[in-house]
Amino acid sequence: MTARAATLPPPGFGPLLRRSGGSVQVSSADESLEEGFAAHRRWAFDAAYRRYFPLLYSSAYNVLGNAEDARDCVHDALARVWRSPHAYTRARGAVRSFLVVCVRNEAISRVRASGRRTRLAERLAAEPHEHDELRITDTLERDRVRAALAALPPEQRTPLELAYYGGKTHTEISRELDAPLGTVKSRIAIGLRKLAAALGEP
Amino acid sequence: MNAHIGDDAALYALGALDDAERAAVDAHVAGCAACAGLLGEAERDATRLFACEPQHHVAPPARVRVQSTWTRWRATVSAVAAILIVGFLPSLYLWQQNRSMNAAMNAQAAAMHRLASASFRSADFSGRRARVMYARDGSWYVVIVRDARRALRVVWMHDGNAIDLGAAVPHGNVAMLYLPHSHVMHRLALMEGGRVVAEAQLAYESKSQP
Repeated sequence: MTARAATLPPPGFGPLLRRSGGSVQVSSADESLEEGFAAHRRWAFDAAYRRYFPLLYSSAYNVLGNAEDARDCVHDALARVWRSPHAYTRARGAVRSFLVVCVRNEAISRVRASGRRTRLAERLAAEPHEHDELRITDTLERDRVRAALAALPPEQRTPLELAYYGGKTHTEISRELDAPLGTVKSRIAIGLRKLAAALGEP
Repeated sequence: MNAHIGDDAALYALGALDDAERAAVDAHVAGCAACAGLLGEAERDATRLFACEPQHHVAPPARVRVQSTWTRWRATVSAVAAILIVGFLPSLYLWQQNRSMNAAMNAQAAAMHRLASASFRSADFSGRRARVMYARDGSWYVVIVRDARRALRVVWMHDGNAIDLGAAVPHGNVAMLYLPHSHVMHRLALMEGGRVVAEAQLAYESKSQP
């Protein structure tokens, strides 16, 4: 490891760092974080966990709808990532989005397994005022997503909405829209790329 | 290796694959850097979308409890160990007690037999109600201490040294030590808590004292 890695928090200092205010400061050490993560280093795992926990928890909460399930889900997803040392490779890019997608997929899996599909759809499409902890920016962000979605041509927007808000699999979407599987897949892929481009950098 | 993941990257990132399809993608990208890159991009795009969802602000729990194989089995192993200890220790204790009692009884019987079948000499200890009976040639000794509550060490006082011969362990209120194979010893002492509490002078017929 390089000297930069030495400035990262060693494992086990969670509570101390947490008290010093929200996310852990791993200043411009993203490169090292990804490298450490790819090398299955414990410190990198701990640092990523503390740094991204709010985002991971929110992603799980937005799918599952309650704090306890969300915590469980984040925990299980991360424990699974740690147990599969080759899940993340450097080519995958940012650890942040890798983890967010892991946690969200885990949450969606749980919802599907428990047959609470309708709740998932409701939750994802719900108006923001349902949530207590909302900031005003959340509403604005949500409106931006809706606007970006609305700007997509309908043949891309509909399957994307069914996947994103409906929590449906591509097979289900293909059946529902009576469109070939390959077409549905490519439309969702193109739609997602456009949507992200419209939303711009965070 | 399976086919490249192509548009499945976006479906994976959005959560539109089922568990089996997702596992197939995982298996493929582990060995295909190009697809891992593609998937990473889709994940970044999707995260851009997810980050617009309401964010809930919570402090992270101290750390993820990552279960190693040992952690997963620790509870079971501990339980088995506890059962073994709880079940086994009393048995071990009783077995030990039984063994030492047997040994004491055997020693007592052997000593009785010696005393009954051979002629012997005896000497009293000063300072304690204790007596030593010994062979005329010093080949065996029986030390008996009465009113003994605790075990006493029996030592041979020789050339200014106290040489430990063994413990006289009380059974009832009599402690006994039988030394079946020994040699001529002229001074014996009893020690309690590291202190000499009684001494005995032993005399032999033919040989002169050193």
